[in-house]
Amino acid sequence: MEDEFDDYQDVFSQDGVLLRQAPSAYIQYINTIGTLYIWETLENEACHSKKRLLEWKPNDVTVDSDVQDQEWAVVNTVQKRVRTLSGNLPPDYYARLKNLKINFEDIKSFRIANKSRQLTFFDGTSDSICSLLFQHGNCEVLVSILRSFLKFGPSRRDKHLFVIYDADSPEYQELNKTFAALDFKNENSLWTLFKNIKEHPYEGSLEAFSKVTNYVYRSVDANEAEFLQQDDLNRSLSEIDDSSTVHSGGDYELVQKLPQLPKRKDFPRCRPLTEEQWREQFNYEGRLEDVESIKTLIFRGGVTPSIRKEVWKFLLDYHPWNSTSAERQKCNSTKSEEYYLMKLQWKSFTKTQEDNFSDFAQRKSLIDKDVNRTDRNLDFYAGDNNFNLTTLNDILMTYVMYNFDLGYVQGMSDLLSPLLMLLEHESDTFWCFVGFMNKLISNFDIDQAGMKEQLANLYTLLAFIDPFLANYLETHECANMFFCFRWLLVWFKRELKQDDVMRFWEVLWTGYPCQNFHLLVGVAILEQERGALMENNYGFTEILKHINELNGKLDMSLMLNKAEGIFYQLKESDHLTDNIRFILGLPLLSQQTSANHSISPDSSANHSQPRCSVDHVRISPESDEAVYDRSITTNFL
Amino acid sequence: MASNKKVLLKVIILGDSSVGKTSLMNQYVNRKFSNQYKATIGADFLTKEVTIDDRTVTMQIWDTAGQERFQSLGVAFYRGADCCVLVFDVTAPNTFKSLDSWRDEFLIQAAPREPDNFPFVLLGNKVDLEPRAISAKRAQQWCQAKNNMPYFETSAKEGLNVEQAFLAIAKNALAQQNQSVDLYNEFPDQIKLTNTQKSNGGGDSCAC
Repeated sequence: MEDEFDDYQDVFSQDGVLLRQAPSAYIQYINTIGTLYIWETLENEACHSKKRLLEWKPNDVTVDSDVQDQEWAVVNTVQKRVRTLSGNLPPDYYARLKNLKINFEDIKSFRIANKSRQLTFFDGTSDSICSLLFQHGNCEVLVSILRSFLKFGPSRRDKHLFVIYDADSPEYQELNKTFAALDFKNENSLWTLFKNIKEHPYEGSLEAFSKVTNYVYRSVDANEAEFLQQDDLNRSLSEIDDSSTVHSGGDYELVQKLPQLPKRKDFPRCRPLTEEQWREQFNYEGRLEDVESIKTLIFRGGVTPSIRKEVWKFLLDYHPWNSTSAERQKCNSTKSEEYYLMKLQWKSFTKTQEDNFSDFAQRKSLIDKDVNRTDRNLDFYAGDNNFNLTTLNDILMTYVMYNFDLGYVQGMSDLLSPLLMLLEHESDTFWCFVGFMNKLISNFDIDQAGMKEQLANLYTLLAFIDPFLANYLETHECANMFFCFRWLLVWFKRELKQDDVMRFWEVLWTGYPCQNFHLLVGVAILEQERGALMENNYGFTEILKHINELNGKLDMSLMLNKAEGIFYQLKESDHLTDNIRFILGLPLLSQQTSANHSISPDSSANHSQPRCSVDHVRISPESDEAVYDRSITTNFL
Repeated sequence: MASNKKVLLKVIILGDSSVGKTSLMNQYVNRKFSNQYKATIGADFLTKEVTIDDRTVTMQIWDTAGQERFQSLGVAFYRGADCCVLVFDVTAPNTFKSLDSWRDEFLIQAAPREPDNFPFVLLGNKVDLEPRAISAKRAQQWCQAKNNMPYFETSAKEGLNVEQAFLAIAKNALAQQNQSVDLYNEFPDQIKLTNTQKSNGGGDSCAC
C-alpha cells in the first residue's frame, strides 16, 4: 500500500463507520461515513513488540487508491508520549490530512454506547480522541480484536467505559502474572484465556472468572483512581454493594459489576371486573364516576365476558370515558352513519374504476386473500360462505377508505378478528378497530421503523433487566430480536388462545402501569426461556424456532404477573436510565435538571406510541452520563 | 465454508402474499395441505432430511411473509442461504410480475459472492386452479433469461410435482455448495480470531 505502510499489514477493516466526533482538523469529515482499519507492523526481529494503529478513512477516498493516501499522520493527542510513525510533521500538516490515525499507545480508554454502535476513544484527558458510529453491525468485532492487542477492563464508574492498562504499569504486569498463576492450559495471554472460556461457555467461565474477578476489580480501581483524579468518586464506589458478575459466551468477556435491581414482587392477577362493579360506577347521567379505579381493576384482572362488549368500546376510545349515556347513543348513530358512508364509497366503485386504480385493486385482493385465512379454525369464521368473513372483509375495506395512506397491512386482520367476534356489530367493530389501530399504527409503517424501534426497545429493556441474556443474544447475533417480531406486530395474537388474547388485550388497552407494557411482557417471556436458550447454546435459527414454538404454550396470567413485577423493579431502581424511562413513559431525570433536553415531555406523555426515530430513543451517551452524575450526586454526595 | 460432515442446505422461499409458500413447505415436509394456514408473520422454517446421491443432507426451508413492506427484515433470514425458491401463482398475473423484484431484493440482501451463479428455482403454484393466467411457456421464457433457472409447475394442494421440485432445489443447492467453497464474502481472515458462529454468514449482524 502506501509508502508509510510498507511495514504494515491490515489486520481488520470495517466499513460503514461514521465519524461522530474528531479533532478540529477533521471537522469537515464529521458525520461522514468511512472505513476503519487496524494496521500492524510486520514481523520484525529488531522490534520486540509490534506497533499498531487505528485508521479511519472517509469513503470518498477509495481503499485501493495508492495516490491519495500519501497524506496521513498520526494523531498525537498526548504530548508526553510522542510516538509518530513518520517522524516530525510540518506545522501545516493537519490541514491537509485526510485519514484519522490513532496510535494504540495513545488510547487510554474507550467507551461503548448505543448498543455497541458507538465507540469513543479517550486519550486520558477529558477530551475524546474521536467518536465513531458503526452503521453496519456494531463495534463488537473491533473490540474483540482490540482485546487481543490491548489489556483493558471495564471501569467501575461506568460499565461502558473500558480502561486500557499501561504496559509499563504494575497493574499490567501483575495482571499477566495473575493470569499465568492461574495456569489456564499453560497459556498466559489474556486473549487465549478468553478464547478458552468461549469454547466452554457458561459454567466454565463462571468458575474460572470467580478466581480473577476480585483481582481485576482491584486493578481497575487503582488504574481508575489515576484516570479519574478529578472525579471525587471514591466515596460513592465504596458504597455500591459487592455483587460482581461475569459475562461470557461470546467474543469477549466482560467482568463487571451489575447494579442490583430491587427484589421482584409477585403480582398475581385478580378477578375480572364484575358487572356489579361496572354498573355501580355510572351516575344518574350514565357517566362513569371513577375511571381510574375501573381501569385499575381491568388491568389487574380483565373484564367479565358479559360486559366486555360495553367496556371495550371505552377501552378502544370509541366511547369517551367521560361520556353520558345520551352522548354515547348519539355517538353510535353518527358514527354508524359515517361508517356506512365510507363503506358506500368503495362499494360503489365500478369495474372500470377499479381497473384504473391499481393501488386500490391490490389492497382489495390482499384483503380478500387474508380474510380467507384469518382464524378459520374458530367456529365463528369456519366454513364456506361464512357471513362473518364478509363482514371482516367489509370492515377492512372500509378501513382502507378511512386511512388510505396506510391501507391494509398483513396482521391487521388478526387484530380485527377478535373484535368482530365479540361485538358482532359492523360499525361498532369498525370504530373499535380504528381505536385499536391508533394504539399500534406504527407497527405497520411502510419502512417498518415502528417495529424496528420496538425491537430495539425490547432489547434495551432486556439488557437492563437481564444483562446475561442480552449479552448472550448479542454474542449470538440475535440482538436484532427479530424472533420476537410476531409477538409485537399483533400483540401476541398468534401466541395465545382466543380467550387469552381477549383478556391480554383488554389489560394492555388500559395503558397501565406504563406505556409499552407489552415489551415488559416480552422480557418476562424471554427471561422464562433463558435457560432453554442459553443452556442449549442456541443461535439465531434455533432461538427463532424455539420462540415460534411457544405458540399456545404461554401462561398469560403468569407473564402479566412477572411483567408487572419487572415494572416495579424498574420503577423503584435507583439507577434507571433515561432511555428506559423514555420507553416506559416515566419522567426523565435529565428533564428535571435541564430545560432544553432534546426529548419533549409531550412525546412521552402521549397516549399513543412515541413516533420518534430509533436513534432518538437511544438516548445519547452524554445524557446517560448526565443521569449518572446526577444520581451519584443525589445518592452519595 | 462447506463442512465435510453434516450438510445443511438453507433454502429460502419467496414470492407474493398468498401464492402458497407455506403450503408448499408443509406439503413437502409434512405431506399435508390445509386451507387454514394463516398469513405468515415474521418467518419460520421446517427441516427435512433427504438423501441425494447417497449423501444425507438436511434441508432447512424458510418461509417468510409475502407483503412487500416486511422485506426489509429479510436480511436476518436470508443470510447463508444455499438456494432461493421463487414462487408465483399461475392464476394471478401480478404475482408473476413481482418475480424480478423478489429476485433482485434477495440478491441485494443476501449478497452472495457470485450473484449470477446463485441457484434459484422457480415454482408456478396452484396449477389445480382455473383459469390460468401465466402459461408454462411464458414462465420458461422468463427462466431462460435468468441463467436457465429451473422451472416447475406445482400444486401444493394436490402434492403435484412438489417432491420433484424440492429435490431439484436440494440438488442445485448442494451442487453450488460443493462447487464454491463459500457463497458469501467473508471478512478478512484475521477476523476469524472471533470464531464466527455461522460457517458462511458474512455480512452484518443487524439489519436495522
